[in-house]
Amino acid sequence: MCELCEKYGDNGGRWYLNPENYARPLYKKVEKEKEKEPMILTELQGPFYYKPLIELKDNPEAFEKMREGYLKFHETMSGQVVSLEDAEKMVEIAHPIARIDCICRRITRATLEDGEQRPRSCLGLGVGMFRWEEWPERYKGGVEFLSTEEAKEHIEHWHKRGMVITIMTFGTPYIGGICLCDYPDCLAIRMRLDYGIKPFLLKGHQVAKVNYEECTGCGTCVQRCQFGAIKMEVTTKKSNIDMTRCFGCGVCTYACPQDAISLIDREKLPGLKEEW
Amino acid sequence: MIPQIEIDKNKCPTPYECKKCLQICPQAIFAVAPTKVERFKETAPEDYEVQAVFKDKCVLCMDCVKVCPTGAIKIKVGGR
Repeated sequence: MCELCEKYGDNGGRWYLNPENYARPLYKKVEKEKEKEPMILTELQGPFYYKPLIELKDNPEAFEKMREGYLKFHETMSGQVVSLEDAEKMVEIAHPIARIDCICRRITRATLEDGEQRPRSCLGLGVGMFRWEEWPERYKGGVEFLSTEEAKEHIEHWHKRGMVITIMTFGTPYIGGICLCDYPDCLAIRMRLDYGIKPFLLKGHQVAKVNYEECTGCGTCVQRCQFGAIKMEVTTKKSNIDMTRCFGCGVCTYACPQDAISLIDREKLPGLKEEW
Repeated sequence: MIPQIEIDKNKCPTPYECKKCLQICPQAIFAVAPTKVERFKETAPEDYEVQAVFKDKCVLCMDCVKVCPTGAIKIKVGGR
């Protein structure tokens, strides 16, 4: 079973559909803990993934230290891939919802001051957004409050264009946001795929499977996969999904013109149910 | 083999205004982040810094060195 569901789920349900994980008291708790330590750099942009990597240099020991640092970071922040359906249920639970700049993309591609071109693809959830609003423009990169319907449209818009939907916590299990990510901009995907730091981004509750009867081998899904899990089988002219590599984001299911890919529950597959 | 990538902060005072290296890198190895943050206060443009945080993924294409308008990036491999 998913570790987070076990700890924070509501009677065996998915942890991110438990309304308690969106509640104000949890946020308050995180805020209080943060006030104890003076802020030099923020948790998001600071010591955890910025400084340790600088120290990395050519030193394998430093790299191990970095990994440990990230694993510690996971106690306060973790992510998981979710399907579009689950994300839609999440925005029904959360309030308020605000469109915010992608923090990762601002760090890796410096997209902060692109004016109209600004992607602003992520959603911040919960009371923390009123706090985020107090931060100045350059630092926060904007806050734009949305209705539930607008949030659903927003998620669908990016997801159908190929973005992976992920949850980010702000003091696990408090759910602070829904991110729309792609490789290599997204630091969570990157940390997981390139550096093997698993808790940074857990796989979702589903996995994608190709129906070979319907697959025409057009290759649309191959281009869309952000995790490198789909390949084209040249001789059979069918696309093949490595389900052990699949994160279950569902991007390929929407990309497929034949509707030949479907998401199935990870926990129904004995070989994958412990694979997160 | 991890290359040494040095970015001269004096030659790159306001990275967000330029950001050419961040956007050209095929491996997206750079990151820009504030070095100073005060709660609810704006960080000055001079207080941002670019670092090659994912330098272990650098393929030495030298695009960043070529694109940098002030020559702030220096890449060294091994003893060379």
